[in-house]
Amino acid sequence: MSQKSMRYRLGVDIGGTFTDVLLMEEDSGRLVALKVPSNRQNPEDAIIAGLDQLDARHGIAASEIAYFSHGTTLGVNTLLERDGAEVGLLTTRGFRDILELRRLRLPKANDLFFPRPRALAPRRRVAEVDERLAQDGEVVVPIRRDDVLAAARHLVAQGASNIAICFLHSYRFPAHEQQAKTWILEEFPDLYVIASSDLWPQQREYERCLVSVINGYIGARMRTYFDTLEDKTKRAGLATRIFSTKSNGGVMSVEAAGERPVETLLSGPASGVIGAAFIGRMIGDERLITLDMGGTSVDIAVVDGEIPYSTENTIGDFPVLLPAVDVSAIGAGGGSVAWLDAEGVLKVGPRSAGARPGPACYGRGGTEPTVTDAYAVLGIMAPGGLLGGEMKLDIDKARAALATLGERLGKTPEETADAILQVATANIYAELVPQLARRGVDAGDFSLLAYGAAGPTHVFMLARELNMRRVLVPPTPGLLCALGCLVADLRADFVRSLWQDARDLADETLAGCYATLEGEARDWLDKQQVDVTETYLIRSADICYVGQSFELNVVFPDEPLSVEALQRWFHDRYELVYGFADRSNPIRILEARVQIVGVTRKPNFDDLRPFATAGDKPASSRPIYEQGRAVTGAVLQRAALRPGDRFRGPAVVEQYDTTVYVPEGFEVTVDDWFNLVGERLK
Amino acid sequence: MIEDKIGLEILSNRFQAIVDEMAQALFRTAHTVFIKETQDYGAVLVSPGGEVFAASRRYGVLMMVGMPMDDAVKAMGDDVREGDIFMTNDPEATGGMCTHLNDIFLWKPIFHDGKLICYAWTFVHMSDVGGRVPGSIAPSSHEIYQEGIRVPPQKLFHQGRLDETFLKMFLVNTRTADQNWGDMKACIAGLSTAERRVKELLGRFGPEKISQGIVDVMDYAETQARRVISTVPDGVYRFSDFIEADMVGQGLLRVNLKLTIGGGEMHMDFTGTAPQVRAALNLPSFSKDGHWMLITGVVNWLCTREPGIAYNAGLVRPMKVHIPRGTIINPEAGAAYGGRYSTSHKVCDVIIGALSQAVPDQLPATDSGQGSILLVSVPDMATGETRVSVVQPLVGGSGGRPVDDGVDGTMVILNFLKNVPTELLEHEMPNLLIRRYSLRDDSGGAGRYRGGTGSIVEFETNVPFTTITARNMERYLFPPAGRKGGTPGTTGYTLLNPDGDDPRDIGKIDILEMDAGDVLRLGTQGGGGYGDPLERPAATVWEDVLDEYVSLDTAREKYGVVGTLKDGLDRAATEALRGKMRAARDGAPLKEFDFGPARDAYHARWPAALHDAVSEITQDMPRVQRQTSYRALYAEIDRRLDAGETVSAADVPGLLAALRSPGRRGASARR
Repeated sequence: MSQKSMRYRLGVDIGGTFTDVLLMEEDSGRLVALKVPSNRQNPEDAIIAGLDQLDARHGIAASEIAYFSHGTTLGVNTLLERDGAEVGLLTTRGFRDILELRRLRLPKANDLFFPRPRALAPRRRVAEVDERLAQDGEVVVPIRRDDVLAAARHLVAQGASNIAICFLHSYRFPAHEQQAKTWILEEFPDLYVIASSDLWPQQREYERCLVSVINGYIGARMRTYFDTLEDKTKRAGLATRIFSTKSNGGVMSVEAAGERPVETLLSGPASGVIGAAFIGRMIGDERLITLDMGGTSVDIAVVDGEIPYSTENTIGDFPVLLPAVDVSAIGAGGGSVAWLDAEGVLKVGPRSAGARPGPACYGRGGTEPTVTDAYAVLGIMAPGGLLGGEMKLDIDKARAALATLGERLGKTPEETADAILQVATANIYAELVPQLARRGVDAGDFSLLAYGAAGPTHVFMLARELNMRRVLVPPTPGLLCALGCLVADLRADFVRSLWQDARDLADETLAGCYATLEGEARDWLDKQQVDVTETYLIRSADICYVGQSFELNVVFPDEPLSVEALQRWFHDRYELVYGFADRSNPIRILEARVQIVGVTRKPNFDDLRPFATAGDKPASSRPIYEQGRAVTGAVLQRAALRPGDRFRGPAVVEQYDTTVYVPEGFEVTVDDWFNLVGERLK
Repeated sequence: MIEDKIGLEILSNRFQAIVDEMAQALFRTAHTVFIKETQDYGAVLVSPGGEVFAASRRYGVLMMVGMPMDDAVKAMGDDVREGDIFMTNDPEATGGMCTHLNDIFLWKPIFHDGKLICYAWTFVHMSDVGGRVPGSIAPSSHEIYQEGIRVPPQKLFHQGRLDETFLKMFLVNTRTADQNWGDMKACIAGLSTAERRVKELLGRFGPEKISQGIVDVMDYAETQARRVISTVPDGVYRFSDFIEADMVGQGLLRVNLKLTIGGGEMHMDFTGTAPQVRAALNLPSFSKDGHWMLITGVVNWLCTREPGIAYNAGLVRPMKVHIPRGTIINPEAGAAYGGRYSTSHKVCDVIIGALSQAVPDQLPATDSGQGSILLVSVPDMATGETRVSVVQPLVGGSGGRPVDDGVDGTMVILNFLKNVPTELLEHEMPNLLIRRYSLRDDSGGAGRYRGGTGSIVEFETNVPFTTITARNMERYLFPPAGRKGGTPGTTGYTLLNPDGDDPRDIGKIDILEMDAGDVLRLGTQGGGGYGDPLERPAATVWEDVLDEYVSLDTAREKYGVVGTLKDGLDRAATEALRGKMRAARDGAPLKEFDFGPARDAYHARWPAALHDAVSEITQDMPRVQRQTSYRALYAEIDRRLDAGETVSAADVPGLLAALRSPGRRGASARR
């Protein structure tokens, strides 16, 4: 196979219900979008099915694919469903209950029946070792081989299939952890043993320990999956390497992902934001609130030029210390069920009809009215359904479900549907606004970019309540995560905990610390063995005022690094965020961070064109119920829209992966990249 | 009757968004440890009449729905203008809105065309507001004047203009002036955010709809609360428990409740509760109906029954309270309040104890009852300065629940405290070595659902003059009770030099000075068990044995479960032993509450009628006389009981008369 005929890039996002397959022709920017049902047992089979369809329907062979990157929920599902490996844990004597005590705080208030948390490794599979280092590295209790091996043997006897080691202060003084690991591997050469200082050397023993334990918990399953995927895709004719997306919005080789699967946990939502940011950069609008609305949840993120990161993410009830794209999930979606409480007040959610039985209109046995049923009854969603007719809508079933609820409210099905959408919008609003406040953002300064199956359907209703200036709907909003996979860069994070007051820190120490991190970063990139168009490093530090407990991440400008400069950068940043800075107050440097980015080849923005499907239907119209009255809404076909086209609500735009609803009061223009750009009419 | 049941849900959501956004704006700009780590702040919206109509369920202190703002509103009278911001921390002038001086409240009226629509309202717990000790709170303080500067309700801003004279006067009286002003500015940022959002809402929906919505959301919550309360069988339920004030020389302080449920309401009569004390344990509730520091347990119960319940003051309207003036939970003016949390938690336990008699399948067994923060101050030998840090929050396990075991190491009530990473603590305090931070094995009460275990913190100092303080330490005498056949949890302990020649359990700590090389081990309480331990599946007990939550001995003695670590669970022997244990009960019903031998012995000496008699006879006395007579009666009765005499309720008037015979002047001269 010659390099010349390998002219496609493939991005795949494996979700709970569908596996999204997005193919891009490198020269033309032409996109092919497919949604294939996911396979929970064998996630890779959906990818193979996607490859088959590309061949059968579009005549594109797997061998023509030059780049393949994908994201999977396998890791996060294994963790959430508590279905992982039997991890054994070695701790410092006295700290056996590191996983049991957590950080104490329970995530839900006012719940006397909050379930008792269960540790990923039960107490019987945690063993203490007689060893102790002080915070300055002094050996308080030396480590002994016989003691370590006795503990390891005990864990193996208790059924541990891999061992995580987390000793106090190893983030800075890893000697004991490394020694223990070496001794254990001498006796158990085939055992998967991971030291917490290898994986993520940051201060805070519980969170650091958890990174290692989760890695062991999901690792075996992930490695098996990656091996199977490579095997099956090779047999299907794929001749390129495979990449996996990461929680930080980047990609890494599947070999690297097998070693550090914990880095993939939040990759799904991260990819969507990467895709959204890509669109934003393309059109020169880089202040975005991204809104990914699916069946059960709404994920939001704020992109203000840069991809936003957080180190305070959680999965289930587990904190995850690794930097991940800052995405907040809201428990509302197209599947949210509408109901009346005992006082007769209309509620929407938090329960969702999910994929099974799903909304009544999906005809899979659901009888409860959902948000999607409300769209259907109001004429917002196409009666022909989505996915080129593969997912039909049964509007009569939706109407029947709404009629039952409506009778109790004394309202028609249309009025009921309208009320459901108003309540659902208010629900999302109430969750979204505090999330924006946490980030210090005023919605009015941003554009709202919608994706996911229901995002484009609901986005204008939400934009109206938020007083937002602009709404964006990209060409393939149902597959934006897959687009994110396709355009993501190689990206890896490295950390060292310094925890030193600036006045005690020498320039050489600081420089040495960053030199070490940069060395690790460049080694990592070399190991990925990918031709990148550009490499750059983002150096930053988490810094706080001495005596305060709020830290700020300060990204270094392109200037020489010194302790003096660091102080100046912190004060400047602090003033920008909080409006004032006390420049006489001493500061403390907590974490030193380096992120390396290997920029992958990108499609040419100017060439990017959505794939025009054959058999486009002409524009038509149908009745839509809007705020209590029937109006005639234009029905447009997305594939037929061209740059410069312009229309006003009420209108719906039907497309393969979603339906866009534009209420009265908005005008939409199609921009040069086929995005729909909605603005309020004055 | 609520007319618009769709508009209600929409407005309710919008109000919720405003309080959550206000809380976030406050949190983001505040800087002190109290706010970040213990979430000790709050943001709510308040009706013109002084009721909380929207409160955050996610951020900050989560019990604010019962905070009574009516007296604070009245205190400002008609002098309320656009741009004003009010401030107070005074429990007495606000009728129990403030409950100790460290909580500073700031609030702002919001107008539409000159008409008052509502208030945005915030508070922060300040690290220090002056007074006799750093941090302002000491258990042994006995009058409010020792606890810091007191600010009666007054204006901080007059129509947008800051009163700098007043501000300076306030701040100069505190030890942490800069931080305090920083936190006040954070409150002001929150208030401004809320004002802007309420005005947007007024523009969107109009003032009539908003004002009606404020009324409706509270009526809605009240209707929901009344409906849930109506599911509880009508009746009278009694319960009492004791605050352990022995550390401050006040013995055991009884909290006594008669709970009457009927007509969708709960009447809580606290007659028989101990008089206020000369220590910082008094809770200034002013006997306000639904007062937030009294009803935590009930609000948690409502929210557990109905997770989507509207969260505002309507919830607490059906909770009527009667507390005699002069008791520890309704003290007369001038008392000290700093450590009122212990008292509040005890009231919560007592209400849960009473309510659970009506709905036993809806409430947990008693939890550790302790919400203490262990502080250490260490001299820096080089500079001579003192470094202060939190070692860990000292909380114990939850009680067993009718649906699940108790949570180990923390409580489902007061569940927002975070622990401190050992690595961080040792970095901040290099003279300390944490030797152990773990669960406390075998400390949860046995039951069908096991009580959550306590925890253990053990550390060593290598410098002299290492000073330890803690407040709100509770349950070192009487353990958390077991429920419906469950056995009690365990009491807390404090061992100085546990591995030395002379280990001593020093119990609750006021102030403790450690010397170089000293080791301190603190064990917190395990929660009470729920249900019959013999009904816990043997396999589940065995899992607990393998994970060492439960010892082999406890498994055998309390659960009737037999086995060895080598051969595993012995099912046959377990069946046999359980059969024998059941037979030995001889048909006796399971204990509704198991308070443990110490408290049972105390009850035998001091039956409820005797407590009631002392309370009743001292109730109407002037304050000082009531306190001294009450203590003297307890001392006298204890003396007689120790001497083997019997004392009954009928003897109390006679004892009081004997005590009252006037002392003679000049007694000291004759000594």
